[in-house]
Amino acid sequence: MIGRVRSQVTEVNKVLVDWMEHRTGIVTATEHFLYEPVPKRGVWLYTLGSATLFLISLQFLTGILLLFYYVPTTDHAWNSVYYIMNEAYFGTLIRGIHYWSANFLLAVIGLHMAQVFFSGGYKAPRELNWVVGVVLLLLVIGLAFTGYLLRWDQDGFWASVVGMKIGSYSPLVGGYVINFLLGGDVVGPATLSRFFALHVWLLPAAIAPFIGIHLYLLRRHGVFGSEFEYTERLSKLHEQQRLEEYARYELEDEDDEGYEDGNGYRNRDGNGYRE
Amino acid sequence: MTELQKDPITRSDFLGFGLIGTIMGAAIGIPSAAFIFSPIIKTNVLKQSDISPGWQEVGPVSEVPKDEPKFFEIEFPIDQTYGDREVQKQFPEAQKSDRGFVVKNAVWLSWKTDHDDSGHPGKVNRPSFLDDKSEGFSQSEIEEIQKNLNILSNSCAHLGCPVRWVIIEGEGEFLCPCHGGIYDINGTYVAGPPPRDMYSYVKSEVRENGKLYVKHEYDTKEGIPGISTQEPYVV
Repeated sequence: MIGRVRSQVTEVNKVLVDWMEHRTGIVTATEHFLYEPVPKRGVWLYTLGSATLFLISLQFLTGILLLFYYVPTTDHAWNSVYYIMNEAYFGTLIRGIHYWSANFLLAVIGLHMAQVFFSGGYKAPRELNWVVGVVLLLLVIGLAFTGYLLRWDQDGFWASVVGMKIGSYSPLVGGYVINFLLGGDVVGPATLSRFFALHVWLLPAAIAPFIGIHLYLLRRHGVFGSEFEYTERLSKLHEQQRLEEYARYELEDEDDEGYEDGNGYRNRDGNGYRE
Repeated sequence: MTELQKDPITRSDFLGFGLIGTIMGAAIGIPSAAFIFSPIIKTNVLKQSDISPGWQEVGPVSEVPKDEPKFFEIEFPIDQTYGDREVQKQFPEAQKSDRGFVVKNAVWLSWKTDHDDSGHPGKVNRPSFLDDKSEGFSQSEIEEIQKNLNILSNSCAHLGCPVRWVIIEGEGEFLCPCHGGIYDINGTYVAGPPPRDMYSYVKSEVRENGKLYVKHEYDTKEGIPGISTQEPYVV
């Protein structure tokens, strides 16, 4: 009885999956996006990019949830954060995840960059993916900076003041930068509105397409250092070295023919003299 | 390249696309950019401050001791959020937004102190009549107080961290916790990264009740990044 039900379920599943695959190609797409051959050695290092993506997704999800209670005005910002932390169900959890995953995000991005840098994963044909990654890093830093003020507590407020003053020292554009960020003449309601708009709409909207490009380029060229790529590159390298060696001998042979000794041995300089 | 183009673009096509693209790009880009950047374009920050222009109470000057500065907090009311001022102008009978926001500033008050050649503090110019009375000053006494009082913002001239008064080896100094900027009791720059002396309030008055009142204006100087007569105060 149970066996029959099970086989029927499997049958229905198969039909559904086939139906979806036929119309959307989702199964092959999923396989294409999820599975990637990587070398056995150091396999955990290849999860750093996925960890970054996971943490950014957490930021998006918890950020959307926090917007249900957060109020971006100077008289209510801190109070609404207080409400989230003390009254709303699981508010501590949601905001805690937003806060801690933001912190870990920067750390994991650092590790991810280090891994790509030290493994040489930025080399041709993946240079543009490195560039896109740097843009993503800058956007994340912008998000971290603008998010800090939104708490509207002493910590975030003064850290933002120091950050803006650092910006004011930029050559040529310093004054414009600070006017743009402040929106007035002191850190006040206008500043909070601007930081809110940047943090909640502008920067996330900017970061999303870059994440898409980053992933597309990754899948186009594959993860650097897959077993396949290593063996192929090594064999290509060896082949090239072999050909160069041959070409050199052939040139030398044309220059001075018949200087080989009886054993078919030539010394390395190829000048025909014995060492 | 050429073999990649199935449908080659002629010169006039290219120019046409370029022209239409420019027009459309400008139509979309210029308004949105100007919208976002309007504080850079039109806000004249010093002539149109959001801070209430009135006098704010700091505290009684007689509480400032002889050899060290005293800390006070001021709250400047700010009627920002764009539009408040304009709405009030156009509809004076409309109810004013009661969303109160204040900018809190911290002030160090100290008496002007002479320093000898090696930088050690010497004579303190504290008016002697302050030992006997703390209010009801005459006009000449008020003038003497105003002449000898340092009214310093606690915001470091470097990056705006709050400076504090510390005593090291028997001598006090203002020390910034962030990067170690040091000022003496008059707020004069001594050491560290700050490009200038501490900010002082330029509009101040002592009243007969013995209290000091200030306005939200500082001694700005040309050529200091972010802080000049054209640029806003981040203090």
